[in-house]
Amino acid sequence: MGKSLINRKMSKNRLIFGGMVLAALVLLPLAVKNAYMLHLFIMAFIGIVLGMTFSMLFSAGLITLGAGAFYAIGAYGSTLLSTRLGLSFWAALPLSTLITGIVALAIGSIIVRHPGMAFTIISLLFAHVVIQAAGQIEFFGGWGGIIGVERPDPLGPIQFTTKTSFYYLILFLLLLTALVFHALYTSRIGRIWRAIKLSPPLAETLGINLYRYRLLAFVIASSAAGMAGSFYAHYFQMITPEAFGGWLSIYIQLYAVLGGLEFYILGPAIGAVIMTFVPEYLRIAKEMEPIITGVFLLVIILFFSGGILGTLQRFWTAKKTSVLSGKEQL
Amino acid sequence: MALLEIRNLKKYFSGLAAVNDVGFSVNDGEIVGLIGPNGAGKTTLFNLISGFHPPDQGKVIFAGEDITALRADQVARKGIGRTFQASTLFMQSTVFSNVFSAFYRQYRQPGWKAFLHTPKVKREEQAIRKAAMDILEFMGLAALGGELATNLPHGHQRALGICIALATEPRLLLLDEPLTGMNPSETMEIVRKIRQIQEKGITILLVEHNMRAVMDLCDRITVLNYGRKIAEGTPERIRKNREVTEAYLGREEA
Amino acid sequence: MTTALFIQLVVNGLVKGSTFILIVLGLDIILRGTKILNFAHGQFYMLGAYTLFMFCRLWHVNFLLSLVLSGLALVLVGALSYLSVFGVVQRRFTATTPFTYRLLMSAMASVGLMLILQQGTLIAFGTAERGMPSIFPQIITFGDVRLSLEKILIILFSMFICFGLYLLMYKTKLGLAMRTVSFDPEIASLQGINSFWIFMICFALGSALAGVAGGVIAPVFAVTPTMGTHIIFTAFLVLLVGGIGSYKGAILGGVLVGLALSFGFHFLGGISELFVFVFVIIILIFKPGGILGEVLD
Repeated sequence: MGKSLINRKMSKNRLIFGGMVLAALVLLPLAVKNAYMLHLFIMAFIGIVLGMTFSMLFSAGLITLGAGAFYAIGAYGSTLLSTRLGLSFWAALPLSTLITGIVALAIGSIIVRHPGMAFTIISLLFAHVVIQAAGQIEFFGGWGGIIGVERPDPLGPIQFTTKTSFYYLILFLLLLTALVFHALYTSRIGRIWRAIKLSPPLAETLGINLYRYRLLAFVIASSAAGMAGSFYAHYFQMITPEAFGGWLSIYIQLYAVLGGLEFYILGPAIGAVIMTFVPEYLRIAKEMEPIITGVFLLVIILFFSGGILGTLQRFWTAKKTSVLSGKEQL
Repeated sequence: MALLEIRNLKKYFSGLAAVNDVGFSVNDGEIVGLIGPNGAGKTTLFNLISGFHPPDQGKVIFAGEDITALRADQVARKGIGRTFQASTLFMQSTVFSNVFSAFYRQYRQPGWKAFLHTPKVKREEQAIRKAAMDILEFMGLAALGGELATNLPHGHQRALGICIALATEPRLLLLDEPLTGMNPSETMEIVRKIRQIQEKGITILLVEHNMRAVMDLCDRITVLNYGRKIAEGTPERIRKNREVTEAYLGREEA
Repeated sequence: MTTALFIQLVVNGLVKGSTFILIVLGLDIILRGTKILNFAHGQFYMLGAYTLFMFCRLWHVNFLLSLVLSGLALVLVGALSYLSVFGVVQRRFTATTPFTYRLLMSAMASVGLMLILQQGTLIAFGTAERGMPSIFPQIITFGDVRLSLEKILIILFSMFICFGLYLLMYKTKLGLAMRTVSFDPEIASLQGINSFWIFMICFALGSALAGVAGGVIAPVFAVTPTMGTHIIFTAFLVLLVGGIGSYKGAILGGVLVGLALSFGFHFLGGISELFVFVFVIIILIFKPGGILGEVLD
């Protein structure tokens, strides 16, 4: 049939394109030596992971403003494990991810029962509470935070003394997360999430336990955020409550919306990269940045609600005369 | 043997009884009609049976099991499928996707294996894809597989709703006004399909306003008015029942 | 604890509570009427304070008149916001799109608005606190107890507004229209109610409430550009406690949280806020709809 030919060709093109991008990312540190540029890439990659956590919850019909909370929990967990218990980063990373997951399970089991607006509000409040707790309680370092977080121990010949090694580490973690998330989205779990998002009552008539699958998304997404937090702590080598609060949870949403809400992995990728790099090049006064961001956000919502990828896709399908089977649109 | 038994069901909304002491039963293999003027409580009754609202009093017994307190998804897993009055579909998905996603109970491979995309999982999904296509063909929507549900004309949307319900392989199918807004030829088609569904062995409880279709299809009919059951019996009995005619004449129909 | 201290703390709590009540009622009216989660609501509160500051302090207008003017200014701001932003979003994402999208789109739009308003005010007025002299500096004394008249008036004023709102919502045609639209927009349009206007009125009214809260509190506490972001968290907390969609709950929740914060701050200092938050989240485990509300999806 004609349709499957188009699909196969598109998939092949996509694979080639994706491969090229991947190769470029892997080879990048050979060309770019500027430490600040590498830092931007690293922060962008962290942003992509965080954006993907928002998208995962969105894919199940939940809007979260609490991604910053689990990012923080992972960071603080990993920091405490290594500074108080002397664990190496390589142990602290998986452990703090696990701890974040357990906290997410506990909190999620309560708040996932109130989907919709209540969930969004509670997630916002939870993030606020976590930051406040980190700041007010001495054990967590108070507002000054915790300094002196150890770099990762050398992994074989790889030392973690330059930004380059951190670059590869976060790139690896990012790709790993993207792979896991992609496997989930293309499995029936992803289809169930989509059903829950599009019509919870209809999903229920199919026998789907909404609570269980929402909780699953919540735990997985939050664990990924925790993992990113752990990396951040050992990369930056210090953590303060402010690094996880403020506009962070809002910017995370923005990554996903800007890139394209329906693109759970590429959307946040594009959004995070743009939001990390463009402000650097525009040289706007620091104080205008939130205003520009706000205007930008409004423009996207009002005119390009599909985000960059969504708008591109609409362009593409408008050019084609046949409807691509199985293609979902916003 | 009664597949579905409703006993003394009551449901109040803000002090008003939407369903007031309703009881009847549906036997295995039957098509039972549930009729009554607008606001008589028919959809509420559906919601009570399918677990979307808990009743204030009474019992719902399905295949000998008390399912009154069960949630909607639990009821669905027991084998009760339903359609909705409004077009409740996965609007942003394609027709095929709607039906393919509707298969849930049938999966035997565990979730973690689905995540790993093992060969067994892939084979299972292939089989389910085929089953989804079969249902689409049965309802005559196979050619529209790639269309977005939201772009479909109303009649096809309702048919898609039935496809989704069929995908759950129900023993009992609750059809909520499947013929609303359909032209005569569409109506005839759906009536035929409903009969074919019965022939497959699925028991049907049908809410409908189209009286000809109801008289045509149903083995027995229950009539509600103002939340109460006012009559029950074969179509001929109901046709001759004066109270029923008065109930309809005395109220406006949609 | 002496009686005097107790009464003082109660009054402080009620003053805080009054502020919350007005803000949350505004938020609730917007939420119930238009199903929009307005994150810029805190900024409307802040703008209320700033406009009052401008009228009263900079242009030397009489306080009461300033309050009215600033309320009107916020009505304007709310209406404009709806016309230019939220109305467009609502028309774009109608009832057929899944709730998730509608919620997200309007919430994100409100976030954009929030960023603009917040930073805009900061740029226009600078980060410095703006103070105002007390309008009613008198102190009332009963025996040992010394209460500032200002605070009593704030509490009375809020009660007055609440009563006015009650009359509006339950005794007028407009109020009935607003309630019908929030219950079921389709029924409303069948009755000939123009949903668009009602949405705009809900939004304008809600914003004005927040603005008035800000205006009333301006002479008592400092006026800063960040007062909006600071208070919105507690406002959401009160909304959850009282229950989304319950006006009585908003009032009760406001009072409870205000009292809790007042007493908590006295005994525990800054960390009391944290405890109140955690405590409320625990309440939500057992009473998911909040104390009085329904769980709105």
